[in-house]
Amino acid sequence: MKCFPVIIDCDPGVDDAAALLLAKQMPELDIRAVTTVAGNVGVDQTTVNALRIRAASGAAYPIFAGADKPLFRERIDASAFHGEDGLGGVAYPVPKEEIPAEKAWDAIYRIAKECNGELVLIAIGPLTNIGIALAKYKELPQLVKKAVIMGGAAVGGNVTPCAEFNIYADPHAADMLFCSGIPVYMCGLDVTMKAFVTPEELDEIGALGSSQAKLFREVFQMGQKKYLEWGMKGVALHDPLALYYAVDDSIFETHHVGIRVETKGALTLGKTVTDLYSDKQMEHNAYIVMDVNREVFLQKVMELMKKYD
Amino acid sequence: MKKIPIILDGDPGHDDAIAWVLAAASPELDIRAITSSCGNQTIEKTTYNAQRICTLLHLCVPVAKGRVRPLVSEPMNAPSVHGESGLDGPILPEPDFDLEEMDAVTLMEKIIRKSDEPITIVSTGPLTNVAALLLAHPELKSKIAHISFMGGGVQYGNWTPAAEFNILVDPEAADVVFRSGIPITMAGLDVTEKALIFPEDFERIRTLDNPVAAIVAEWLEFFYLFHRNLGYKGAPLHDAVAVAVLVKPELMESQELFVQVETIGDFCKGATVADFRSILKVSPNAKVLMGIDRQGFVDLLVERIAKYGKERRT
Repeated sequence: MKCFPVIIDCDPGVDDAAALLLAKQMPELDIRAVTTVAGNVGVDQTTVNALRIRAASGAAYPIFAGADKPLFRERIDASAFHGEDGLGGVAYPVPKEEIPAEKAWDAIYRIAKECNGELVLIAIGPLTNIGIALAKYKELPQLVKKAVIMGGAAVGGNVTPCAEFNIYADPHAADMLFCSGIPVYMCGLDVTMKAFVTPEELDEIGALGSSQAKLFREVFQMGQKKYLEWGMKGVALHDPLALYYAVDDSIFETHHVGIRVETKGALTLGKTVTDLYSDKQMEHNAYIVMDVNREVFLQKVMELMKKYD
Repeated sequence: MKKIPIILDGDPGHDDAIAWVLAAASPELDIRAITSSCGNQTIEKTTYNAQRICTLLHLCVPVAKGRVRPLVSEPMNAPSVHGESGLDGPILPEPDFDLEEMDAVTLMEKIIRKSDEPITIVSTGPLTNVAALLLAHPELKSKIAHISFMGGGVQYGNWTPAAEFNILVDPEAADVVFRSGIPITMAGLDVTEKALIFPEDFERIRTLDNPVAAIVAEWLEFFYLFHRNLGYKGAPLHDAVAVAVLVKPELMESQELFVQVETIGDFCKGATVADFRSILKVSPNAKVLMGIDRQGFVDLLVERIAKYGKERRT
């Protein structure tokens, strides 16, 4: 596959951090920018974490900070899982760098224009920045080739019985994206919970030798305990999976479906309502990823992490 | 064998009708009353259908008419599935008995109150009558052993992407039932979409060569034609699952889950929301059927429908 321009919109976040470490080693990705948003922790912290991971990976993309709260709701966070610092409490230096004054949504639009319709948005946090960009720039949908997101679920949830964190954190922004006309590829819990990495496999990555591989292992140590308590075989690589999907969809099962986000339900706020086979057919505005070949995916993750010296 | 005393509440409806055919031919069950609900068609039509079915089956139990509309929501029907009569297809005998003068909720109340043993309610339509009973007579909850109903789906819907028809018609009623504390068995789309009756199964029923079997085969054929256009390989016999689970529970796979009903929302009204990952940390309130031994289910139907040739039930 030839190289294509992307913006990674994220809220690092331990699995965001892992995704950013992998992204640096993917030759298919021309990373034009990383944009940050409030999500797992506040935006000041997710921005600091993006800087930390950029320094750790030796990358040089620009980082633009975005929204510090959802469009219409109060902010929720996931520091219980990601740690107060959002990176599971890893001892890793904080770079003393300034970031550009340009806001994430302005950068998204400017870069989209520069890319002549080829830009792929990889969004692995709450979708607030994209919601604001869509609100401000009405021609944005024509400028974006597609959006690959980590969020939602056709069945089940993780913050409520039927809502996943990224979508629940800003359901209105998510629905704006689904209604925008941009083709959305949704990697939700249906597939990401299948992309777990066992403690042994994680140790294997950590033992590859590089400082980056060690960091990849370390950020997950805190979350891993919770996954094992929940009876899972290991921590789920939510964000790395969505990132990988953007470059190679051949190891996944994808369906063309209708998806909208419930923004008014009492119990179902933030549910990604997915029309796989109901009598009332929704407009097919999205693609849902339902399955992955976990072994091959893990192998690819391992190969990418081996590229660090 | 000790029989389970039941009240059948439904909105016939092809699959309600076959559910009742199964119930009436099952010695494990003792049908104490039948009540109609509005859903697949208007209450007038479903009540008339209930009478015609009882006449066909020579089933002599009190039959009462249910509420004319859902508790709160606007009424809706499903003529696209069941036809204008609510039970289109074969010609049925005209009713040969009168309805009870009392309404469905009063009949249910009376039957439950006078029974020495707790009653099981089998509901195969919207839960309007059952909820009205629970709201009006909470003191009778202890005399209701179990509510087995067809409705909902913990994964997907059918009438909308998130909601199944019976729950969508009266979500507030379903909410009352899930909160009631009474043991609940939910035969939702998770299992009923697997309870498919294939054309070769209709033929097995048709060759039983009794008047009820002939009509059941025609109902199945009518029901299948609608579903075939949606891409089904057979007729999903939704409502009969809520009866079959009482007669032969070993045919079913189930999961104990905490389930709530969404009553508002742009897309999710009528969704039955299950807490798969125990996020809410509350005890399950429903046995949710998730799988069925399809062949065993078909064999049960065939075996029970065959009885209509041998004995005339009174």
